[in-house]
Amino acid sequence: MNARTLRALAPLVIVAVVALLPLFVTDRFLLKVFTFAGINALVVIGLALLFGHAGQVSLGHAAFVGIGAYTCAVCTVTFEWPWLLGFAAAGALAALGGLVLALPSLRLKGHYLAMATLGFGELMTLAFREAEPVTGGVDGFGGIPFPALGPFEVDTAASLYWLVWAVAGLSLLALFNVTSLRPGRAMRALHGSEPGAQACGVDIVGVKVRTFVVSALLAGLAGALYASVVGFVSPSVFTLAASVTFLAMAVLGGTRSLAGPIAAAVLLTLLQYLDALIPGIPRETAQTIQTYQEDIYGITIVLVVIFAPSGLAGLWRRRKGGEAA
Amino acid sequence: MTPGPVDWPGGRAALRRRRRPWRNDQTTRRPGDGRGRGTHELDELLQFLIAGLKNGSIYALVALGFTIVFAATGAINFAQGEFFMLGGMLGVFFTELGLPLAVAALAAIAATAAIGAVFELLAVRPIADGDPLRIIMVTIGGAVVLRQLALHLFGPDERALAAFTQGSSLKLLGAAIERQTVWIWALTALAVVALALLYRRTTFGRAMRATSIRRDAARLVGVNASAMVTASFALAAALGAVGGLVVAPLTQTAFGVGAGMGVKGFAAAILGGLGNPVAAVGGGLILGLLESLTAGYVNPSYKDGVAVVVMLVVLFVRPQGLFGGSGRVKV
Repeated sequence: MNARTLRALAPLVIVAVVALLPLFVTDRFLLKVFTFAGINALVVIGLALLFGHAGQVSLGHAAFVGIGAYTCAVCTVTFEWPWLLGFAAAGALAALGGLVLALPSLRLKGHYLAMATLGFGELMTLAFREAEPVTGGVDGFGGIPFPALGPFEVDTAASLYWLVWAVAGLSLLALFNVTSLRPGRAMRALHGSEPGAQACGVDIVGVKVRTFVVSALLAGLAGALYASVVGFVSPSVFTLAASVTFLAMAVLGGTRSLAGPIAAAVLLTLLQYLDALIPGIPRETAQTIQTYQEDIYGITIVLVVIFAPSGLAGLWRRRKGGEAA
Repeated sequence: MTPGPVDWPGGRAALRRRRRPWRNDQTTRRPGDGRGRGTHELDELLQFLIAGLKNGSIYALVALGFTIVFAATGAINFAQGEFFMLGGMLGVFFTELGLPLAVAALAAIAATAAIGAVFELLAVRPIADGDPLRIIMVTIGGAVVLRQLALHLFGPDERALAAFTQGSSLKLLGAAIERQTVWIWALTALAVVALALLYRRTTFGRAMRATSIRRDAARLVGVNASAMVTASFALAAALGAVGGLVVAPLTQTAFGVGAGMGVKGFAAAILGGLGNPVAAVGGGLILGLLESLTAGYVNPSYKDGVAVVVMLVVLFVRPQGLFGGSGRVKV
C-alpha cells in the first residue's frame, strides 16, 4: 500500500475504530470515559471553529454547555417534552445566548469578545446557582431521563457512547463542509487580516457572529447530551475552569484544523483516567494528574501559544511539509 | 386600575421594605423618633453611595492596570485580576510571617510587581511582536497558572487581613463609614496621583507614554520600548496589588477572586474608555455606584451581573467609552 491509499483509508479506519470500540471495551467505567471524551470533543470542535479558523477566543463555553444542559433538564423533566425536542431546544437557546453576546462584542476590532464571554460565564454560573426554582440552585437538578429517539430509549453505556459520538461525528462532518468551502475561506481570511478580508468582500461581522453562534449551538447540544448521560446537573460543573479546559483542548489541537482539536480533546480527557486506560500506571499517578489538572491546562495554553502557535495540527502539517520538501 | 392617591414616600418605601427584609435593622425606625422619612431615605442613599465609591475605587485600580497594559501592548491582559488576588494573598502571607502590616503591604506590592515583570519577560516578551490574539491567549494561560500557584502555595481557604486601623466606624451625616473604607479612598487617591506624577513629570513616565503612542518613534528617540512594556506590566501588577490589599480586610480574599475582579475592572475600563487613565478611574467609580445602587434598590443578587451588562451595553452603544470623545472605533 502506498502513502496515498493509506491517507485515504485513515479516516475510514478511525471512524471504524471509534464506532466499534464498545464491542471491545466492556468495562462500563471506561466506556463512560470515552463517552465524556465525545462530549468534550463536540464542544471543542465548535470552539476550534471559532478559535482556529476565525481567530476569536471564548472563555465562556462552559456557560453554553450549562445553558444546554439546564434547558434539556427543564424541558424533559419540568415540561415533560420528548427528549429530541428538549435536545433541539437546548441547542437553540445556547445559540440565542451566543447571538446576544456576539452582536455587541464582535462589531468591534480587538478581542472584546474574550472578556465579554468571561463575564457571561461568571454571570451564568451565578444564574444557575441563584435561579433556584428553575435550576434547583446549588443542590443541582436531578432525575433527568436518558435520551430517547422516538420510541427507542438510549440507556445502555454502549448506546449512549454511540449516540454521543454519532452527534459529534455528524457535527464534525457538517463543520468539515463549512470549513472547506466558502465560509471557511472567509473565516481564515478574517484570521489572516481583517481589512484584507473586508476588501475581498467578506462580511466580517456576519462571519464572526455566525461562527460564534454555531459554536455556542454545538456547546448547547453537548450540554444536553451531558445532562442526559449523567442524569444530574449542578452549577459547579459549568465554571470558568471548564471553559479553560475546553480552550486548552482547542489551543493544543491547533489552528485551521478540526481533527487536531478532536484528538486533543480525547487526549486531555483520557489523561485524567490514565490508570484505568493503561494497566501498568498506578492510581497515584492519575490522582496527581487530577490534582494538577488546571495547571496542566494553563501551562499547555502558554507553551503551545509561545512555541507552537498552530498546535498539534500545525506540527503535523509541518512534518508533512518537511517530508514533501 | 386607577393611580389613586399617591402615597409617596411611605408607600414606595413600605413596598421596598417588604422586598428587602434583610435590611430591616435599618428600616424599622419607629415613627416620631425625631427624624422624618425623607432624612432616612437620604441616609440610606448616602450609605449606598459610600459603598459604591468604595468598591468603585478598587475597580478603578484594576481598570488602570488594564489601561496601562493596553496602552503598551494593544492587548487585554487577562491576568490583571490575578494581580489583584496576589496582592491580597501575599499581604496575608507576609503578615502571617510576622511582619508588621505596613511592611507586609509594601512587600506584597513589590512582590506582585516583580511577578508582573517576570510574567511579561517569560510569557509575553517572546511573542511581543506577533498577533495580539497570541498575547491574549498567553495571559489567559498565565492567569490560570498564577491562580493555581496561589492555590498550591496558600491553600483553598478564604483569608482575611487585619483592618489597617482598628476602631469603630466613622459617622458622616446619617451614614457610617468603616475606617478601612477611608483607607481605600486614601490609598487609591495616592496611587492615582503618584501614577499621574510618574507619567507627567518623570523621564521614565514620558518614555512610557511615548511608547504607548508610537512604538517605533519612541525607539527612534532612544526609548527602550520593550523595557517599557515590562515596566507597564509591573506597574499594572502593583496597582492591582494595592487594590487587593486594601480591600482584603473587608471582603476577605481567596485564590479564585481574580477572574471576577478582572471582569469588573475591565468593565470599568471599557465604561470609561480603554486606554485613558483618567477615564479608567471615572469608569471604576461609576461602575461601583451603579452596582451598589442596583444592589440597594433593585435586588442584591443582581449586583455581580451589573458589570457584565454594563460591558455589553457600552460595547454595543458607545464602544469608545463615556469619556472617549466622539471618534468611532474603525477597522
